[in-house]
Amino acid sequence: MDSFVVEIVTPIRVVNQENVKYLRCPGIDGSFGVMKNHRNGVIALDVGEIKVETKDDVEWYATSGGFVEILDNKVELLLESVERSNEIDVKRASGALERASQRKKNTKEPIDNMRLEASLLRAVNRLRVSKK
Amino acid sequence: MASLKDIRDRIKSVKSIQKVTSAMKMVAAAKVRKAQEKMEQARPYTYALEETINHILPDVSRGDLDLLNVREIRRKAYVIVSADRGLAGGFNSNIIKVAEKEIAEFGKENVDLFCIGKKARDHFKRRDYNIIESHIDFWSELNFDNAMMIGRSAIEHFTSGKVDEIHVIYNYFVNMAQQEIKSEVLLPLSYHDEGFEEKDRLYEPSKEVLVSSLVPRHLNIQIWKYLLESYASEQAARMMAMENATTNAGDMIKSLTLEFNKARQAAITTEMLEIVSGAEALKE
Repeated sequence: MDSFVVEIVTPIRVVNQENVKYLRCPGIDGSFGVMKNHRNGVIALDVGEIKVETKDDVEWYATSGGFVEILDNKVELLLESVERSNEIDVKRASGALERASQRKKNTKEPIDNMRLEASLLRAVNRLRVSKK
Repeated sequence: MASLKDIRDRIKSVKSIQKVTSAMKMVAAAKVRKAQEKMEQARPYTYALEETINHILPDVSRGDLDLLNVREIRRKAYVIVSADRGLAGGFNSNIIKVAEKEIAEFGKENVDLFCIGKKARDHFKRRDYNIIESHIDFWSELNFDNAMMIGRSAIEHFTSGKVDEIHVIYNYFVNMAQQEIKSEVLLPLSYHDEGFEEKDRLYEPSKEVLVSSLVPRHLNIQIWKYLLESYASEQAARMMAMENATTNAGDMIKSLTLEFNKARQAAITTEMLEIVSGAEALKE
């Protein structure tokens, strides 16, 4: 069988996916795919969506960034946070989006702006993934 | 012998103390459970991160990153994790004792301190140690931000060259009845050099960027682990101490009750003797 194991680890929970055929991750330099017998390595991830294709199912996750380690057909995703598409609290995400875009209009501090930009990105990403 | 009233009052006060200690025990038991849960949640991530770092680091030379730099040790810093509150048996005094001993070996004047918890801060402040920073009053709302704050200042202290090594002394949670004081080197980062041969690995964006963002994260998680271990240990130690106090109070109540009954019996006997001898006297 041409499948491998994906383990998603965050500080508050662990998700295991077996029989994965294809994994797509938001790398810092752009999205990339992982299939069986991928070269070993460590890759940094950005805010974005993760697609996990198993034999008969496709799952989507939203993440706020982290790392992937690929080691002998075992893929470990070390993430700061992860939410499955059907678990995302749409109300909270759109609330966060609202607040961030409001505040962005009113602030001029560059540091605040960077933070706001990041939280905007996260909120948009979560909303997008929740529709999958 | 103490009067009946005195004994009755003692029994009363011991009983109310027993109530307090058993309530404290219950509270500690609930908190220990919560702390353990948090520890278990954090564990997989900690291990996974550690593993990843151990895989990359052999590929990186120590000179690439300040945090890996092994220097000649002229000054040390100690992070001492204690509690804010007492009444936990030997929890605080033991850790302070160990810390004092280690510091004395290196020389008090060459050591900077990061004190976590009121007990350590008060102790070392009174004795004029060189305290750089103290973090207190956060245990009840322990969260990851605390670890990040401590981590940031520790990293800063190391990279700016103020100290050449940072140690952490904390209570490791073995089980409910046992805590072990551990002293570990936090910085420079130690890692296993052996066992990983593969060199043909993919790094994106680059090894250096990855390491420099992984290592501080790893340190924060490490500190988070220390805080959680220590918090669980504190609550477990308090639970045991209060459990012992409650049983001791029970024993005390028992022996006081015995004494009380003896005194009461003696009083009744004397009273009866008085009545009988009074009656005898009247007869004649």
